[in-house]
Amino acid sequence: MTIRAISISAEIDGIPLLSDMSLEIVPGEVLALVGPNGAGKSTLLSVLAGDLNPVQGSVFYNKRNIAQLDVQERAHYRSVMSQALPMVFDFSVKDIVEMGWLHNGQHYSSDHFKTAVQQIVDQCNISSLINRRFNTLSGGEQKRVHFARALLQLWKCEDSLEAKYLMLDEPLANLDIRHELSLLAVIRKAAASGIGVLIVLHDLNLAAKFADKVAMLNQGRIVGVGVPEDVLTTNLLTSVYDVPVNVKPNPLTISYY
Amino acid sequence: MTILFNKGRSNSGLVSVQQSSIIAILIMLLAISVLFAGANGSFDLSLFAWLKGNSTDIQNIVMSEIRIPRVILSALVGSSLGMSGAALQGLFRNPLADPGLIGVSAGAALGAAVIIVISPAALTESFLGPFLLPLAGISGSAAVICLLYLLTKGFGYQGVTYMLLVGIAVNAIAGVAIGLLTYISSDAELRTLTFWTMGSFGGVTWRLLMPAVILILSAMIYMAPVYRKLDLLQLGEIEASRLGVDLGKLKFRVIISSAAAVGASVALSGMIGFVGLVIPHLTRLLGGVNHNYLIPGSAILGAAIMVCADLASRILIQPAELPVGLITSAIGSPFFLWLIFRINKNDY
Repeated sequence: MTIRAISISAEIDGIPLLSDMSLEIVPGEVLALVGPNGAGKSTLLSVLAGDLNPVQGSVFYNKRNIAQLDVQERAHYRSVMSQALPMVFDFSVKDIVEMGWLHNGQHYSSDHFKTAVQQIVDQCNISSLINRRFNTLSGGEQKRVHFARALLQLWKCEDSLEAKYLMLDEPLANLDIRHELSLLAVIRKAAASGIGVLIVLHDLNLAAKFADKVAMLNQGRIVGVGVPEDVLTTNLLTSVYDVPVNVKPNPLTISYY
Repeated sequence: MTILFNKGRSNSGLVSVQQSSIIAILIMLLAISVLFAGANGSFDLSLFAWLKGNSTDIQNIVMSEIRIPRVILSALVGSSLGMSGAALQGLFRNPLADPGLIGVSAGAALGAAVIIVISPAALTESFLGPFLLPLAGISGSAAVICLLYLLTKGFGYQGVTYMLLVGIAVNAIAGVAIGLLTYISSDAELRTLTFWTMGSFGGVTWRLLMPAVILILSAMIYMAPVYRKLDLLQLGEIEASRLGVDLGKLKFRVIISSAAAVGASVALSGMIGFVGLVIPHLTRLLGGVNHNYLIPGSAILGAAIMVCADLASRILIQPAELPVGLITSAIGSPFFLWLIFRINKNDY
């Protein structure tokens, strides 16, 4: 059971953005996508999430081709957290978190639902925000709320053995260091509970420290994938980013100025 | 664009206890307005005497053939405008999406005007009979919503100005077409046409009312399953689809049901402005923004307010009548200004 992309190519408005990419998201592991601006990280995430259809190749969620899954079925396999639009109407934080609840045969009045929301609110450390209006929160706080929503979407109601996946597009932008660390801890915990995590990261040191595996993208291609020590090497980083980079092992530290 | 209504409370999952009690209060308000509107009017008759059977023949006829259909029609039109306003605002993610402002009502009026002027005989002779006028109204409003859909690239988040400009253009185009129809119409047709531009519940008969009742009630039932999906849509289209919302189906349902409700209403009662804009905002202020409260709440509040507005139009300057569209616009337009002041200016 994995999310598997097999030799996918994608384009937007006729401009090729990804070519012949193959990748696997494994339950319980954190896979970081790194690479320079415009390398195709967000496009790859959209293809894996099913927002963008590849022009070639296929994506499989636990061996099921997503071309054969409708949007509702896809929602049960994976949740995505990205830069969301501002809310026009004045929803409360609680409303936004609860929007992540897929019915799963359990309605809102069920104890199951209440337990799930409570647990996720505690886990994401947003209990002090829960009764506030969403639009009055800061950018970082809104991010944490959307993260909680994405986590609630993956809540397992029955004793389903089907693996679920969490995809995050630069979740750490706008977060202060305390909330950055606490968000990373929650993501880690989610992975430990068997969720497969795909995370787009800018900070190479963070990727080196945090991810189980790293996929390096450059110009629409995967130029390296594997454990951080194998991918984040002086040679590869220098050629991909076109700046002198110095990598020191134990602990893996990347410096570029 | 962001509007902060500090008093709005909500709960996306279920209608809260508080919201249920607000709905119950609104229903009582509607019942009281209906009784009051039934009991008052330019013709002197007592509701209780009528209920007990102590009224004269002419009083019976006024009550059952004129006043009751009229109260029912005003309630239905108010609820369909309120409900469609709420649903369209949710679909467009835009608090200014009123069926009147964005041209949907004008489209319906145009559809109805075409039938009245081009083939008035069809109204009585064709096999569709009394359904023809509402159907023409619905076709007109559906055509406008489709046009808006194309011009706003799938109701994407385009900002208020763009939406209003499209609405102005659509209203102008429909205005020209109605003007042309007015120009070529006969005296009798002209009189019927005038009834649209002013908006009135007068002259309704059971024969005309029943098709509209059926259409509007079916539109409400058809719209019911989309409440939660409209909540999710507020996160943005991509986010909603990642949460399992089939956007195509959702849009189709909201567009068809709003077009049916507004089209049937406008075909019978003409263009009644600002109700679709104001009612959902009032409903949000009362109880919250989640659609499973907002849409039924707007339907009930819209009905109650419209019944009262029609009563006012009947008794304010009796024995003459004030057009009800004038009353709603007189109340609605200052509210519209107030709303514009509350909209965050940075988002234009």
